[in-house]
Amino acid sequence: MENLKEITLTHCTKQSAVIDLGDVETEEFKVLNESDYESDEVASRKDKGGGGGQSGSPYEAAKQSMTENMTKMMWQAGTQQARKAWSLYGNIDILRPYFDVEPHEVRTRLFQSFIPKPIKDRQKIHKELYGPVMVIFTLIALLLFQMKAAEHKVEEGTLMGTAFGVCFTYWLGAAGLMWFLCFVCNTRISAVQILSLLGYGLSSHCVVILLGTVIHTSHDHIFFYCLWAIIGGLSTLRMVSVVLSRTQGHRQRLILSGVLTTLHLLFLLYLHFAYHQIVEDLSGVFDDKDVVPNPVKDNVHDSLVDNNIMGNSSVIEQDHPDVAHPLLTSSN
Amino acid sequence: MNPSPNMYTGSIMTPDSNAFTSPSTTGEDDYENEPPLLEELGINFDHIRQKTMAVLNPFKSADHDIMQDTDLAGPLVFCLAFGGSLMLCGKLHFGYIYGIGVLGCIAMYGLLNLMSITGVSAGCIISVLGYCLLPMVILSFSAVLLSLKGIAGIVLTSTTVLWCSASSSKLFVSALSMENQQLLVAYPCALVYGVFALLTVF
Repeated sequence: MENLKEITLTHCTKQSAVIDLGDVETEEFKVLNESDYESDEVASRKDKGGGGGQSGSPYEAAKQSMTENMTKMMWQAGTQQARKAWSLYGNIDILRPYFDVEPHEVRTRLFQSFIPKPIKDRQKIHKELYGPVMVIFTLIALLLFQMKAAEHKVEEGTLMGTAFGVCFTYWLGAAGLMWFLCFVCNTRISAVQILSLLGYGLSSHCVVILLGTVIHTSHDHIFFYCLWAIIGGLSTLRMVSVVLSRTQGHRQRLILSGVLTTLHLLFLLYLHFAYHQIVEDLSGVFDDKDVVPNPVKDNVHDSLVDNNIMGNSSVIEQDHPDVAHPLLTSSN
Repeated sequence: MNPSPNMYTGSIMTPDSNAFTSPSTTGEDDYENEPPLLEELGINFDHIRQKTMAVLNPFKSADHDIMQDTDLAGPLVFCLAFGGSLMLCGKLHFGYIYGIGVLGCIAMYGLLNLMSITGVSAGCIISVLGYCLLPMVILSFSAVLLSLKGIAGIVLTSTTVLWCSASSSKLFVSALSMENQQLLVAYPCALVYGVFALLTVF
């Protein structure tokens, strides 16, 4: 044990990576020598350490130390590169200026998102992300409220996940598409400005969905279409006017205005008919009106009449008027 | 040379008797000098009471240091009480409470770190949002007795959400020195507690 300690000490002073056990003559190895299995191995090791192994062991030691050094260098270089990339792109301070706003500024920009302005003058777009993010979260909360009120069931997912996915996918996806089209059409606008513009434009969707969920009408959608045209139209006109004021050329202006209008208004239609339509169907069922025609019921009835099965069922109904034929009763 | 051999001397089947006597003589002194269990666990009932009173009275100004020690015992009790009160209404929503709580805490953590100069820790966020859930617990207990889907329920729910958001925004701005941005902090808190209210009502 003490010999092993001395060897370890000399190894540390020499700063070599390998302890040459051929130089060691300890009690442990003497004990091993007495065993049957390991005696030959130790003897062969001794022979190697004694004579011809002197050229092999320094070479292998050097090779092993070089491998270890190379591995260490590669690891350090890779770690430094990753840290530099993280500090450059993963720094949250990049987004900090876009969240530095006052409450009155957010309120003013929300109201102005419904007021279109003339295209002649280039309109200023504030690079701000607090308002758009809050509008998106409000839209998510309203969608949840709408789905809960309609008892909307989501298969293979959750209500929260659906709302998050729909809203953020539209915001980021539509902004990406508009950014690409603005790049192609040479519009003087940045990506953050597009995000801010589209985000504030979604406040119209929040208003329409809130009013549509709180105020239930009968089975027509005139109230919704009025809101869609007026409130959705105002916010669309506002966004289109801002984008057109920064674009030159009639063709480019036409493309941008058409795509932006289509995306904005169709998304509102989707939000209504995907999540609100269920409320109308349920109210129709409770009022005992055939809102949705049941073709299965009619086909079964016709086939029963043709095959003369109706006669038997009518007998059953005469004898047991309370028993309803399972094929003839419609289930919702 | 070192005390450990005194503990481990003796053969395996016949341990050293000194190993049992020596720790016992020193162990009695350690046992008397040990801190109380609640102090070791970091549970301070006085602080919990102060924070609870700060939540229940949103119009009273809060101390700047009130949220320096972030404890999670109070929020945990309030979350369990909220889940238990919903269970009394026949709704098993412990998973939803956990999920919405985690999502809300992550969102508030990101938002407040972007808005504040000093930054905020996750423990502070969880502690504040958890403590300010107390009015929602009161609402869910009242849902056992009366329906929240009527006009009275809507008024009560709205009042509770405003109460929770006012308390939480007050605590956040006092801890982060953001007095001129209290409305900007209150609105996302109102959204988080609004989702909890949806759990309670529907």
